[in-house]
Amino acid sequence: MNLRRFLAEAGTLVGLSVACALVSNALAGKERRLPLPGDYPNATKVTAGREARPLASFEAEPPAVAPGVTESSSPATSRVSPSPETPAASPATPSTSGRTVPGEGAPAGSSSAALARGQTVPPAELLGRFPAHGQPFVEITGEAAAWLHARGVLFLDARRSRDFVQGHVSEARSFPVWEAEVVKERVEGLVAEGRDLSLPVVLYCSGGDCEDSHMLAQTLFGAGFENLLVYRDGFPDWVKRGGAVRTGGPA
Amino acid sequence: MTIREALTHPWLTVRTQIALGIFFVVAALPKIADPPSFAHMVYNYRLLPGPLVNPASLTMPWAEMLLGVALICGIWRRTAASLVGALLVVFIVAIAFNLFRGNAIDCGCFDVADAGKSVEERFHDMWMVILRDAGMLLLVAQGLLGADRAEEERTT
Repeated sequence: MNLRRFLAEAGTLVGLSVACALVSNALAGKERRLPLPGDYPNATKVTAGREARPLASFEAEPPAVAPGVTESSSPATSRVSPSPETPAASPATPSTSGRTVPGEGAPAGSSSAALARGQTVPPAELLGRFPAHGQPFVEITGEAAAWLHARGVLFLDARRSRDFVQGHVSEARSFPVWEAEVVKERVEGLVAEGRDLSLPVVLYCSGGDCEDSHMLAQTLFGAGFENLLVYRDGFPDWVKRGGAVRTGGPA
Repeated sequence: MTIREALTHPWLTVRTQIALGIFFVVAALPKIADPPSFAHMVYNYRLLPGPLVNPASLTMPWAEMLLGVALICGIWRRTAASLVGALLVVFIVAIAFNLFRGNAIDCGCFDVADAGKSVEERFHDMWMVILRDAGMLLLVAQGLLGADRAEEERTT
């Protein structure tokens, strides 16, 4: 077989593939459409395993410290700019305003039950424990996530829409980061709500080596959010802890 | 009948190429049905620059589909088999490179959903994928030799 014929046939097959791809993408619903060219800043970088990444230390019951201690309760643990002076292994010494929090002293799981969700919590209390860190994200434990959930902090679910429908953290909103058009709209909507960008927002996906919540954090960080907390062990851990779960589509 | 004659017999060639084509069509279907999941798989390989992830994720499944259909129908047999071979070599190199650098990934070959496998399971499966793809390369070689024989018989 001569080369010219081979190239003509191969070119036709490749061209047809591209044409089919473009047509099917144009006809797809927005949950299935991919933007061209797409935006993946770390596309060729292999990230460190999750065990290699430090985790923000958190204790449900803060040790008795004098008000005004300025050390942060969530040491910088971002992979982007780890700060050497606050190693993650150091014990948590959160600055609190000296107030006691309802449900404190009990395990975080039960404290979430003790405190009615949606009850207004003074932002100062949240910011005392989780001050705006100004990094794309800080990773937190399930215990910290339960504590934040009990205080009505916004939870965002970075998994696919269909996973969200099958079950999600109660009151969480669906921000499926791989459905580019959907998540773009939702991020714009969230920004338009005019929230205080320094308040904590918890992002989660399916735990393990799932990085969807980290990708969503990068997007939201770019939109101006300053206090993004990635719940590293994500939804499976939430279910294991017996946290409140809802099913159904985004409200 | 020599071994070569037996291995390139048209009866066998037709069947191996149909089998290979079915493999590719079956592999293409879930990727075409759910492009974001497949893009996620392609992204996990950490080989393509960001802007190329989505175009590759959209085009590759359709290439698999069309090549599979071509093999099944016996259209442009040699070209289709050659391109399938090229794709298989790309898959083997991509998996082997990630094995070499210790990046445990799901293959994303026939299933684009995250199976929640452990790192050890993934490494094991990556070796199995390399073996499977090498086996499919043998089917490609058979198809090319079969096409050669058919051409020889036509000309003589």
